[in-house]
Amino acid sequence: MQMQLNQQQQLASVPDAVKRFIVHFHQSIRDGNLPEISLAYESGWNRLTEKFYSKTEWPEAETISPLVGDDPIFLILYRELYYRHVYSRLSPNIDDRFHSYENSCELFNYLLNSDGPAPLDLPDQWLWDIIDEFIYQFQSFCSWKNKVGSKSEDEMAMLAEATQIWSCYSVLNVLYSLIQKSQILEYLKATQAGESTEAVAELVGEYGTRSLYRMLGYFSIIGLLRVHTLLGDYTLALKVMDNVELSQKAPLARVTACHVATYYYVGFCYLMLRRYPDAIRMFVTILNFINRMRQYHTRSYQYDQVNKTGDRMYALLAICSALSPSRLDDNIMNTVKEKYGDQYTKMTQGSEGLQAFEELFTFACPKFIAANPPPYENEVQLAAWLEEPPADPAQKHLALFLSDVHAQDAVPTLRSFLKLYTSLDAGKLANFLDVDEEELVQQMMVMKQSSRSVTRPATSAGSLLQGEVVSTSDLDFAIEENTVHIAESTVGRRYGGWFIRNIEHAQRVFDSMRSQPLPITKTAAVTPPVNGQVEKSDAPAAQSRQTSGRTGRAVWGGANARRVEIEA
Amino acid sequence: MAATWIHPASRPTEIDTLVEGVDRYNPANVQYLEDYMYQQTRERGYDCLANLAILKLYQFNPDLYNSDVVIHILLKAITASPGPDFNLCLALLGDRGPYLPTEDPDPLPALLPHLTQLHTLLLTCRFPKFWALYRSPELAPLRENFTIECVGFEDSVREVVARAVRGTFSKIGRDRLGAYLDLKKLDLAEYAHEQGWQMDGHSVVIPPNADNVVKSSVQNEEIKLPQLAKILAHAQLP
Repeated sequence: MQMQLNQQQQLASVPDAVKRFIVHFHQSIRDGNLPEISLAYESGWNRLTEKFYSKTEWPEAETISPLVGDDPIFLILYRELYYRHVYSRLSPNIDDRFHSYENSCELFNYLLNSDGPAPLDLPDQWLWDIIDEFIYQFQSFCSWKNKVGSKSEDEMAMLAEATQIWSCYSVLNVLYSLIQKSQILEYLKATQAGESTEAVAELVGEYGTRSLYRMLGYFSIIGLLRVHTLLGDYTLALKVMDNVELSQKAPLARVTACHVATYYYVGFCYLMLRRYPDAIRMFVTILNFINRMRQYHTRSYQYDQVNKTGDRMYALLAICSALSPSRLDDNIMNTVKEKYGDQYTKMTQGSEGLQAFEELFTFACPKFIAANPPPYENEVQLAAWLEEPPADPAQKHLALFLSDVHAQDAVPTLRSFLKLYTSLDAGKLANFLDVDEEELVQQMMVMKQSSRSVTRPATSAGSLLQGEVVSTSDLDFAIEENTVHIAESTVGRRYGGWFIRNIEHAQRVFDSMRSQPLPITKTAAVTPPVNGQVEKSDAPAAQSRQTSGRTGRAVWGGANARRVEIEA
Repeated sequence: MAATWIHPASRPTEIDTLVEGVDRYNPANVQYLEDYMYQQTRERGYDCLANLAILKLYQFNPDLYNSDVVIHILLKAITASPGPDFNLCLALLGDRGPYLPTEDPDPLPALLPHLTQLHTLLLTCRFPKFWALYRSPELAPLRENFTIECVGFEDSVREVVARAVRGTFSKIGRDRLGAYLDLKKLDLAEYAHEQGWQMDGHSVVIPPNADNVVKSSVQNEEIKLPQLAKILAHAQLP
C-alpha cells in the first residue's frame, strides 16, 4: 500500500511532456507503426533526455507502468533504454549492472521462448542498438569486475554469489540462439544462391520470415565478430562472418553504426593476422564511406560515435601502412598524416618507432576482455589472484602485436638503401648498415617474408579467412651468392583519368552550349510566340536547317551536324 | 591463408563438424580434439584451426587445461612460421591465473620463454641461432619430453628454412645453407637434391621461382569500362 502510494507520488512528479511521450511511444509500438517508433526512439527520447534527464535517471519502469497499462513488453523495452541511458550518461552501480543483465535476459527470453514469434516490430536501428548495447554492457562489466581492488565488501559478496551474470557463455548463448532461431545463416546462403523468395521463406520458417528476427539474427553475427575479437580469437571472429557479404548493398549497411563497426572489427582481425593489405582495404573502404556520408549525417545522434571509430581506424591504417607500404588513396592518406603525422613518420623508420606503434595501437584497439574473471567465490584463490594477477588483456595483446612489429624493424632501413641500387655486394651493404654480412643476409630474408602477404581478392566471395600469397612491395630483390639484385616496379604515368575528366568536361560544355538558343536564329525566334506553344518546339530545327543551308556552317547538334555536312 | 590452412585435407569429418559448428563450445568434446592433436604430432599433420578450438575450450573452462597439449600445439605453431599461428595461440592463452591448483607442477610457465624465443628466432630468420638454442643443454627438458614426441619437428623447421631460402636466393653458399639447415656434407647434399636444388662447387643453385627472380616492371594504368560509362553514354545522344 505504502509502495503504491510512493509510486503515485513519483508519477505525479514526472513532467507532463515525458508522460505524453511515453503514452505516445507505447501506442506506436502497439500499433507497429515503424516511422512513429523511429521518430520517438531517435529524436523524442534524446530530446527529453537533454531537457529533463541529462544528469539523472529516467523514471523507474514501475513508476510509469500505469501510463502504459502495465504492458510487460513495453516495460522491458523501456528498461532497455533506461539502463542504456544510465551506462552512457551516468555511472552504473552494481545494481544497475545486475538489473540490466536481467532485463536483457527477459527481453531475449520473451523473443526466443514465447509460443511462436513475438508480435513486435522495431526499427533496424533499434535492433542493432539492442545487440550492440548488450555486448557493450558485457564488456564494461568484465573490465569492471576485473578490478578487484576497488570493490566494497557488499559488492564482493554479490559477485561471489552471481557467477553466471554476464558470463561469456551466457552472452555467446544469447547470440547463437538468436542466430539459430532466425535461421539467418540458411537465409543468407539461400539468397546468395539466388533462391526464390518463396523458397527462402519456406526454408527459414515462421521466425526467419519476420524482419525483427531476421535482423536480430543478422546483427548477432556481427555481435559474435565483436565478442570473439574482444576475447582475442581473431580466426573465429572472421570465421563467423563466412556468410555475411561485405558491401554497401548488404543488410549491414542499413544501419550506419553497424556498417562502421563491422569494418572496424574485420580490419582489426586482419591486422592481428598480419594481413596488412586486407586490413588496409577494409579501413580505406569504410573511411571513404564515412567521408561521403559526413555531409548528410551531422545531426544524427550516432555521429560522434562513428567519428570516434573513424579516428581509431585512421590510426590503425597508419600502423598497417607503415608495416606494409603501398600506394593509397590520396585523400585518406592526407587525413592520416594530418591526424597522426608524427607517429607515422616514426613508425616508417624502423625500431625507433616502436613507441609510436604502442601509442597508436593502445588508442585504437578494441577494449579487450579476459574470459575468466577473478575468483570472487573462493577467498583463498582470490588472495592468490591478487598476489599475482594474470596479465591485463590489453597489455597481453599489445605485447603480441609489438612482437610482430619488432620482428621486421630492420626492414625500413634496408628498403631505403636498396632503393638506391640495381645490384650491390652484400658485404658492402652490410658495411653501410654497420652489421656483419651474415646478419644482413638474415635481415634480407625477413624483408622478403614481410613483402609477401596472404590477401583476399577484393571481388571474391566466401570466407574472409581465404586468400592467396601475393607480393605487397614495389621493391623486390634476390641474392645470388653474395650479390643482391634489386628491381623496382614503378607506376607508369597516369593520363587516363586526366583525359576522361577533360572529355567529360568538354561534353558538359558542349551540352550547355547546345541547350542555349542559337545565336543566329535569335532574330527569327522572336516571331514564333504568335503561332503558339505547340509549334514552338518544332521551329528551331526547321530554322536551323535553313540557316545552315544558307551560311554553310554546321549547326549545334550531333546528328544534324553530320547530315548537314553531307548535304553541303 | 591458403585453403589447406583453413581446411587441411586430412581433417576428419567429425572434427570438421566440431570446428565449424556450435559444438566446439561443448567441454565434453575436448577429448576428440586433443586426440586429433596427438594424431597430428604422430603423423606430421597440422591443423591450426582445430588446435585453436582446443585453446578456446581451455580459455572458457580453465579446469580442462592440459599443459602437455598446449606445449605440443605451440611446437606445431612454431613450425608454421612465418605465419601468425604462434601468436594466435598465445592470444588465447594466459587467462588462466596461477590460483588454480594443479595436481602436477605445470611445465608451461618454465618452457614458455624458450618457446617464444625459438619462435622469434625462426620468424626473424636467425636460423643458426635457432639451432644453437634448440640444441643447448638448457632446452634439454623441452627436447626430451616434448619435441621427441612431435614426429618430424626438425624436418618441419627445415621446411621453414627452405621456404625462406627459396624466396630469397638464386644461389647460396654451401656452408651458409648448411648452417641454416643444420646439415653437413652428405646430409646437406641429399636434402638439396630432394628440394631439386643443384650443387655447384661451393654453392647451391636454387631454380628460379616466382620469388627469387626479379624484374623491373612498369605498372601501366588500366582503364576499366565503367570509367568510360559517362563518355560512352553521351555518344548515344541524337
